[in-house]
Amino acid sequence: GARLGGGSGCCVSFCYSFKVVLLGEGCVGKTSLVLRYCENKFNDKHITTLQASFLTKKLNITGKRVNLAIWDTAGQERFHALGPIYYRDSNGAILVYDVTDEDSFQKVKNWVKELRKMLGNEICLCIVGNKIDLEKERHVSVEEAEGYAESVGAKHYHTSAKLNKGIEELFLDLCKRMMETAQAEERMKGNGASQFGAARRGVQIVDDEPQAATAAGGCCSSG
Amino acid sequence: MSQRSERRGIHVDQSELLCKKGCGYYGNAAWQGLCSKCWREEYQRARQKQIQEDWALAEKLQREEEEAAYASNQGTQPTPPNQSALAPFSKFEEKKTNEKTRKVTTVKKFFSPSSRTTPKKESHESKTPSPSISRQSSIETDRVSRDFVDFLKSLQKLGREIHKQCRVFIESMASKKDLSADELSEYVQDFYQNMSDRLLTHFKGSSERVECVMDQVEKYIMTRLYKSVFCPETTDDEKKDLATQNRIRALHWVTIQMLCVPLDEDIPEVSDSVVKAITDVIEMDSKRVPRDKLACITSCSKHIFNAIRVTKREPASADDFLPTLIYIVLKANPPRLQSNIQYITRFCNPSRLMTGEDGYYFTNLCCAVAFIEKLDAQSLNLSPEDFEHYMSGLASPSRVEEKSTWPQSSSLVSPGLTQMYHNLELLTGLGERQQQVLDGARGLQAEMEEWQESVKQQVHGIVERYPLEVRPPALPIDSENTENDRLPPPLTPQVFAG
Repeated sequence: GARLGGGSGCCVSFCYSFKVVLLGEGCVGKTSLVLRYCENKFNDKHITTLQASFLTKKLNITGKRVNLAIWDTAGQERFHALGPIYYRDSNGAILVYDVTDEDSFQKVKNWVKELRKMLGNEICLCIVGNKIDLEKERHVSVEEAEGYAESVGAKHYHTSAKLNKGIEELFLDLCKRMMETAQAEERMKGNGASQFGAARRGVQIVDDEPQAATAAGGCCSSG
Repeated sequence: MSQRSERRGIHVDQSELLCKKGCGYYGNAAWQGLCSKCWREEYQRARQKQIQEDWALAEKLQREEEEAAYASNQGTQPTPPNQSALAPFSKFEEKKTNEKTRKVTTVKKFFSPSSRTTPKKESHESKTPSPSISRQSSIETDRVSRDFVDFLKSLQKLGREIHKQCRVFIESMASKKDLSADELSEYVQDFYQNMSDRLLTHFKGSSERVECVMDQVEKYIMTRLYKSVFCPETTDDEKKDLATQNRIRALHWVTIQMLCVPLDEDIPEVSDSVVKAITDVIEMDSKRVPRDKLACITSCSKHIFNAIRVTKREPASADDFLPTLIYIVLKANPPRLQSNIQYITRFCNPSRLMTGEDGYYFTNLCCAVAFIEKLDAQSLNLSPEDFEHYMSGLASPSRVEEKSTWPQSSSLVSPGLTQMYHNLELLTGLGERQQQVLDGARGLQAEMEEWQESVKQQVHGIVERYPLEVRPPALPIDSENTENDRLPPPLTPQVFAG
């Protein structure tokens, strides 16, 4: 769930926390994609991180702080059934396929179906065709991929982890969309609709002003 | 019983058999060398002392609690705004009136072993904890309570308030023992939510400070509630534990190759990390606080990542990590795995479980368990017949594979054996080197002796060649001066009278 903590200072500023799952078959370059984004490295011997399964990134978008947690998932067919355990409570999903591999695109379609079934329209979907540096060997046509993405309410991106193309845009765009979704949810909560459910999902809106006066010893016991 | 060996000796002096108190009766090793009568007296005295100590501690704790409660009552009751701040906890208000009497009884209850064990005895006789275990855990609980009080002292007024709320909450939970596990979880989660909301208001939104306090609150509350809410009898957690345990045992034949685990256990650092990972995931069961259990899973995962990194020389992706974690769980067969997962899910502070790194590893563990439960021939790339055979124990896969991949099967030799050969080689090498050192030392010694001898001989030779000539003693300086007599006599002083 999106978690909002109040910022520091007198004016209320929020900090969003988003969980994004990374789905894709074995060799589509999921790991390279996130390592390129979080460490700006590709097939590098000097990669400092011990692992590329769970990575975080701090962003500042239009003055709002965003904490992004990227959850890699095991893409092998034998682990397919475990998907729902991974993507529970996620705000976004990045579905990666290899533009030279038709099969990997079919896998993406399966995941999209499952995600929509489990999480409905609350999750922001990104379909990503990776390895556009191998354009000559392309097996998934741009029209087909973009047409499919549009039909399921997802956005389509073309990236190359090797050439560092399209990756920043992908994540920035996704964050903006997740923020919009979270803000829409806030407004819903503001209207009093499903207040308790929202709180349970981890969405908290903190409004300091009215309660600060009534808090026990709020003004004197801490700096 | 350990004293038995002493008595096995042939010679036993008569006096050794007598009671150590010297009362004249025979003593018994099981009673520390005392006779039955003296032992009973001794034991009673020790027990009495123990009980007194317990009471002293209980009273001390109670006094602290009362002081805190008194101070917070003083602080909060006269000012009406605080009452509104207390609103989320208003359901506990009515209990405030008889707070004092209840407090005494709870503390008493806490230290009397009989009331502790009875609820367990009723349903599960085998689970009655041994006195030493309950004693140990109560020490741990005391320590955590004390730490919590110490921590809250730094928060002054707010700390007293938090302490009160936690205590009231724990007491209210005691009356809810019959509720289902999900309802208990709901209560605890509501409490976390209310508490963190209030703290967020208090700290003006500094979520790091809220997290810090909430960690302490979780630690205190869950240490106190652990016994009653871990693997409660209202659930079938225990049954699931046994099922999972048997399942893992039945899958003992699953190899690293079948799971496509990217580990090379021939590398000592890898096998070392594997052992550490296994130890960590087993250790999870011994922790009481959900967050501590999570920390064990995280530590286990870090060792796995290290093993993968050493083998593959690149950072591990989920494609590598999950199969390895499954392999580790199969190897470790951690005790009460399902109970622990359920306990963490129900009672961990959700902010950690949802998005944090710990949450990611926990989710992977849940995936690993789910995979193991549903594992079939297809998920190991085996034919259904082979799978059946292996499961029933009719065939063992390692032997079949050994034949087919014999030429390049260095990886099939058990890593322990490889390690042993390696060690043996090392030992032989060390032996040789030691022999060399010894030979060298002996040579040096001989050389030294030789040298000493040669020096002695040289000295001797020189002494013989140049014998010491002793000259006659020297005469007085002017003895040879014959002119002396011719010198005028020395002047003598003259006295003038005047």
